[in-house]
Amino acid sequence: MALIAISSGTYYHIETLEGARAPRVWDAVLPPEALPDATLDPADAIFIPCRSPAQRLVAVAPALRAHLDRGGTVVAMGESRSDLWLPGVVFTPCPTNWWWWLEPGADLGVRVAAPAHPLMAGLDAAAVTWHLHGHFDPPAGAEVLIRDADDLAVAYLDAVTTPGRMVVTSLDPCYHHGSHFMPATTRFLAAFLPALRNWAVEGAPAPTTCPDAQG
Amino acid sequence: MKAAGVIWVRSAFAEPSETVRAAVDEGRATILVEAEVSPEALRAHCGLITGTQLDQDRALVWAGWLRAWLEAGGRWVVNGHLLRPILPEAAPFVPMERPGRADFVQTRLAEHPILAGIAPELLEANRGVAGFYGRGHNPMPPGAVAVTGLGPRRVPVDWVWPVGAGAVFSHAGNDLWGAGREHGLGPELTARCIAWAGGEGAWR
Repeated sequence: MALIAISSGTYYHIETLEGARAPRVWDAVLPPEALPDATLDPADAIFIPCRSPAQRLVAVAPALRAHLDRGGTVVAMGESRSDLWLPGVVFTPCPTNWWWWLEPGADLGVRVAAPAHPLMAGLDAAAVTWHLHGHFDPPAGAEVLIRDADDLAVAYLDAVTTPGRMVVTSLDPCYHHGSHFMPATTRFLAAFLPALRNWAVEGAPAPTTCPDAQG
Repeated sequence: MKAAGVIWVRSAFAEPSETVRAAVDEGRATILVEAEVSPEALRAHCGLITGTQLDQDRALVWAGWLRAWLEAGGRWVVNGHLLRPILPEAAPFVPMERPGRADFVQTRLAEHPILAGIAPELLEANRGVAGFYGRGHNPMPPGAVAVTGLGPRRVPVDWVWPVGAGAVFSHAGNDLWGAGREHGLGPELTARCIAWAGGEGAWR
């Protein structure tokens, strides 16, 4: 029962997964290429941070699928083309409006759709709002966690496509947090990462490598 | 150094730009992934260009021989925040503390072939939003020259460092060729990086 982060070694992955500004909730950090030979327990959860180079995940898609087929959990953050390496992901990108907040009183319209879900603990509209990269068409039976202003899914939980669980989002907090850009992304990670750990590997002891870490 | 052409390290999923592909077609650039950047590959080229998605864990193995290649005349254009000690003198990245808009005003502190003639204000903002260009600096090694300063404190977001017969140009922000997009500067900045890393012009 472990929470495993997949690092592509980019500066923003290093800063997010190892830096002191985000909760360090990981039992292990591995490069994508280590996945096929990793000894994974079905109770393990694999976290794939945003803006991971998709070609490196496409190459290990069979290992991710095998983990899901054994009942495992995979969490795929945005801007990594998860539609290319996870089953059943239907993604529609959108042009990114990063200047929407320049208008006084502007609201991007992103909302937590399932506030009672343990993954959304501590998250409010402000903590999920920086900008958008696109939406998903989740399969029937999936639970939408976050929606945009058009009521389209930007984060969802799919426990129906495989025997495992997939959390899929188009939000890209790790990149911006790791770039010291957009404080909402730091607030998002401060709430989401502990919530993820509690939900994904509930009952597991806290990681021993970084016991002091909390946002 | 008899080597020619630059290594363009492809870290990202996106295809390299048309400018890069044209350089490849003309024999002025070779596209490799991090693991293919060996001492032999470096010796066969006079320049190295890395982007913000560089796998710094993989690139850390370069540390053992990158310095010798630079001293022999190699030039490296490095984009992004250096966190691993690939060049120990230039890491880790130092972020600005709570920067505001004034902290993103750019000042050209020294001329450099990569940025010569490009007004700093053209690189400052994108659709009215500043901060993409850089939000801090990679530490300047002794002997490095600041090229672009940010804000009143002139935070050296760009610098160039002579290393023996070679040099490093550090841009501690999003990929340099992504700046000035509104003004169509991307291809020009890409071409200038390839030209400079390829040995054209002085180190500064």
